Amino acid sequence: MDIKNEKVGDFVVVRIDGRIDTTNYTEFEKIIADVIDGGEKKLVLDCKNLNYISSSGLRVFLITQKRLMGAGGKLHLCSMQPSIKEIFDISGFSTIFKIYDSEAEALSN
Amino acid sequence: MEIKHKHLSVENKIDELPALAAMLEQLTDEWNLNPGLAMNLNLVIEEAITNVVFYAYDDKQTHFIDIDFELDGNEFSIMIKDDGKPFDPTQKTDPDISLSVDDRQIGGLGIFLIRKIMDKVSYRRENKKNILTLVKTL
Repeated sequence: MDIKNEKVGDFVVVRIDGRIDTTNYTEFEKIIADVIDGGEKKLVLDCKNLNYISSSGLRVFLITQKRLMGAGGKLHLCSMQPSIKEIFDISGFSTIFKIYDSEAEALSN
Repeated sequence: MEIKHKHLSVENKIDELPALAAMLEQLTDEWNLNPGLAMNLNLVIEEAITNVVFYAYDDKQTHFIDIDFELDGNEFSIMIKDDGKPFDPTQKTDPDISLSVDDRQIGGLGIFLIRKIMDKVSYRRENKKNILTLVKTL
């Protein structure tokens, strides 16, 4: 897993590359928590290069969504690969997250 | 048609997962399984093994988990055997996936994903071992 953050307008775009699984989800959780603790309330998680996620990773997505909604923030996901979208669909996560086709769309909403 | 079989044994630690994922990738290649299926099978294995590693043992000893993969015609099966405390994942209640963000519970998704991805999930306790069999019709 490789994560890069970039501030774009009001949003922080977090670009995820690789896998989020039981071996590394705490690292992912900490990166996201640090962004929010730093005062950011609008996040885009760019999933273009996310090619694997297990329930440990899904858990971090859900925690982040709860936290940002509680703080009046926004969490937008974008550019998800079909295999990842399938896991979101099965988990019922597609209805609780805003998922956009592109980063540009995620940033303009 | 020839029945293909592969056995391996892993220790009860999370560090085993990357090697297991690599092995599974090689297996899906060798057995000509759909690459789209490979990710889902990897997920199923991770969820099942993670459960055993985190919850099956109260001691700090090394235990071995046996994993058997089999391809019989269009039926792909995974059998996972551990000597941990009795645990029947088929008895676990599914999380309510229709709930809103506020009400959604954190966790409980692992076994649910296994059940959704695989076509048959069965459990038995035999000789002080948990035996979980997961079958997917290809």
